Amino acid sequence: MAMTWSDLAKKQPAAMRILMNGIRNNRLAHAYLFSGGRGVGKREAASHLARAFFCRARDGIEPCGACPDCKRIDSGNHPDVVVIQPDGRSIKKPQIASLIKAFSYKGVETSKKLFIIEQADLLTSQAANSLLKFIEEPQGNTLCILITEHSQKILATILSRCQVLHFKPLSKELLVHHLLENGVSRVMAKTVSAVTSDAEEATTLSKDEWFANSRSIVLHFMEDLLTRPNHAIITMYEKCALHFNDSDKMKMMLRLMLIWFRDVMALHIGQNDNVVYVDRMESLTEAAEKMTAEQAACALSLLMEAQRRLQSNGNPLSVLEYVSLKLQEGAGVYA
Amino acid sequence: MADAIHSMAVEEGLAMKVIVAKDKLVACTNDVMRAVSSKTTISILTGIKITATSGGLTLTGSDSDITIQAFIPTEENGIENIQIIKPGSIVLQARYFADIVKKLPDDTVTIEVDSRLMTRIQSGHSEFNLNGMDADEYPRLPVLREENTLSIRKDLLKQIIRQTVYAVSTSENRPILTGANWVFENKTLKCVATDSHRLARRTVTMDVEENHTITNLVIPGKSLNELGKILDDRDQDVVEMIATDNQVLFKTDHIQFYSRLLEGKYPETEGLIPNDVKTEVVLKTKDLLQAIDRASLLARDERNNLVKLKTVDQSSLEILSQSPEVGRVYENVPANKISGEELRISFSAKYMMDALNRIDSEELIIQFTGAMKPFILKPVDDPDLLMLILPVRTN
Repeated sequence: MAMTWSDLAKKQPAAMRILMNGIRNNRLAHAYLFSGGRGVGKREAASHLARAFFCRARDGIEPCGACPDCKRIDSGNHPDVVVIQPDGRSIKKPQIASLIKAFSYKGVETSKKLFIIEQADLLTSQAANSLLKFIEEPQGNTLCILITEHSQKILATILSRCQVLHFKPLSKELLVHHLLENGVSRVMAKTVSAVTSDAEEATTLSKDEWFANSRSIVLHFMEDLLTRPNHAIITMYEKCALHFNDSDKMKMMLRLMLIWFRDVMALHIGQNDNVVYVDRMESLTEAAEKMTAEQAACALSLLMEAQRRLQSNGNPLSVLEYVSLKLQEGAGVYA
Repeated sequence: MADAIHSMAVEEGLAMKVIVAKDKLVACTNDVMRAVSSKTTISILTGIKITATSGGLTLTGSDSDITIQAFIPTEENGIENIQIIKPGSIVLQARYFADIVKKLPDDTVTIEVDSRLMTRIQSGHSEFNLNGMDADEYPRLPVLREENTLSIRKDLLKQIIRQTVYAVSTSENRPILTGANWVFENKTLKCVATDSHRLARRTVTMDVEENHTITNLVIPGKSLNELGKILDDRDQDVVEMIATDNQVLFKTDHIQFYSRLLEGKYPETEGLIPNDVKTEVVLKTKDLLQAIDRASLLARDERNNLVKLKTVDQSSLEILSQSPEVGRVYENVPANKISGEELRISFSAKYMMDALNRIDSEELIIQFTGAMKPFILKPVDDPDLLMLILPVRTN
C-alpha cells in the first residue's frame, strides 16, 4: 500500500501540515531539518517529500507512487536524488565536497535536484562549514533535507539556514498500532509500548528473545508471589537472579514489575482497557481482589524506591532481594 | 506435444530476444563502457542498458555526468547485424557484461531476457545466465528535438576542445569555471574557458543562421575531454550538436554523447581581454616554446614555476629563470618583429607552455599591455584563436 500524506500526518500532524501546505502552495523552503527521536517517521517523511517533489503524475499534493520517478526514489536509483550517510562514525568533508560538485551540475532529468543528509549531527565541523554556503545559496531548483536525532548537536549556523521541523515521539496507541502492523502480537506490542515510546527500540525489543523471556519470567515470579509466596524466593534465585544479571537488565525487571502493579491499580479503578498484561487477566483480577488499591500503591512506591537504589549503584541482586522480601511480606499480609 | 507446450511457456515469459554480431556488440560495449564509473552511488548506473527496438540495438552507459549511447542498426550496407526476435529492454552489470561479450566463442551472440529479468547470453556452446536489473530504473535521457541541431566538423570540434578546455579551472571553489562557455550568436560559435589566471577563446563561424537550443551553455571540462577522446576516425566527419535545458548531446553515426551542463551563469569574459597594446612581438612558436621549456627546468620545483621575459633592442627576447638553490638559466630568442615599449614581465612557465603547445601555427603574435597586465597570444594566420595569461608580480 502506498504511503500518503495523511498516513504520515497521523503520526506527525504538525510537521506534516507544514510540508503539505508547502507543496500545496508551491512554497517549499529550500532546506529542512527533520529533528526527532528514532522511528518517529523522519525518513519516511523525507522520502515522501522527495516523491512529491519529483513525481510528474502528482495528484494534488499526493505523489502517485507508481511512476518511474516515485519508484526510483524508493529503490535509491533516482539520478537527481543524493543521499549522504555517515562514512564510519562521521560525515566527512570529501563527502560534502562530492555532493557540492554533483550539485554544481544541472539535474540529470529535470532541473530539480534533492539531497538528503542522514544523521546530520555527525557532520564534522569542516564538512558542516563547507555545506554552509551551499545551503545558503543553492543554485537552481534544489531541495535539501537534513535528518537528525540530536538537533542540539547541529551547528547553529546550519540550523539558522534550515526550516526546523520537530517530529514528536509517537503516542502509546500509535506505537501499539505501528507494532501490530509490523506483525508483532498484541500482547507483546502492549508490553513493549509500556516500556518505551521509541518506535525503533520498540520494534527491536519486540523481536528480542531475551525480552520475551524476561516478560514470562517476571510474570511467573509475580504469580508465584501471589499464589505461593514461600516458593517465590526460590523462583527469584533460580530464575530472576540468573536472567537479570546486571544493573541494566535489573532495571528492565523492575520496569516490568511496575507494569504488573499498575495493571492491578487499573483494575481497581475500573480502567480495564489500560491493562498491559492482557494475557494474565485472571491472575491480575485475583491480585486485585487480594490487595487493596493502597497496597498496590505501596508496592509501586517500593519499586520506584528500588529503581532509585539501582540508579545510585546499588548491587542489583541485593536490590532484587530487598524488593522480593518486602513484597513477600506484603503478600503474607494480603493472604 | 510436450515440446510445443514447453516452447509456448518459454515464449510467454520472454521479455526480449536478439541475435547480434559479436564484433559489433564488443565495439559498442567498449564505447559505452567509457561512461560507466565504478564509483557511482546509484546502483543502476553500474549497469549497461540494452534496448532492442525494431530498428536495432541501443547500448547505454552513464555515470550521470556523461552518458554514452551506441547504436547497432539491424542492417548496415546490406549486411544484417542483428535479428530482433522480441523487442525489449534490460540493464546488465557493466563489468561482467563487457568481459563476457569480449570472450564469447562464436561470431554471433543471442541475448534472451525472461519476465523475471533473468538474462541468458549464449554464443556457440557457451551460455551465461545473468541477473538483470529493471530498465525502468535507468535514468531517462532528455527528449531532443532534431530540428535544432548544429552541425560541426569533427576535426574542428576536436581542435576546439584541445585549444580551450586546458584552461578550465580544476578547483571546485567556483564550480562554474570547471566548465567551458559555448555561446552561439550571429553565426559564430564562441568557446571560452578560464580559471581566472588564464583564458582561452576559440571562435568558429557557422553556416547556420540561428539555433534556439544552443545559445549559452556551460559544458563541464571533464565531459569535453572525454568527448575529445571518444571521437575517433571511425565515424563520418560531422558531429551534430543539440542542447536541452539540462544536457547537451553530441551525435555521430554510431555514438550519442550526452553531458550534463553546469548550473549557474558564466562570468562575462570579454571585458578581461585588453585592447590597448603597448608592446607587440611576432616570433616562431616553436622557438619560444622550446626556450620556455628549457627555462622552466630550473624553476620546476618553485611554487609558481616562474620565468621572466625581457625585450632586447627591438630584435630579440631574453628568457630568464632562476632558483636560489639550483642556479640560473638565460636564453636569447630571436624575434621576427618587436614594436612598442620595452618590457619586462614574469609569468608561469606552465601556463605559457600549455598555451604554446596548442597553437598549431608556425608563428605567433604576443601582445603585451604592461608588466602587470594580462597579455595575449594569437597565431599569426588564425584570428579565431586567442589565449590570455595573467603575469605574476615580482620585485
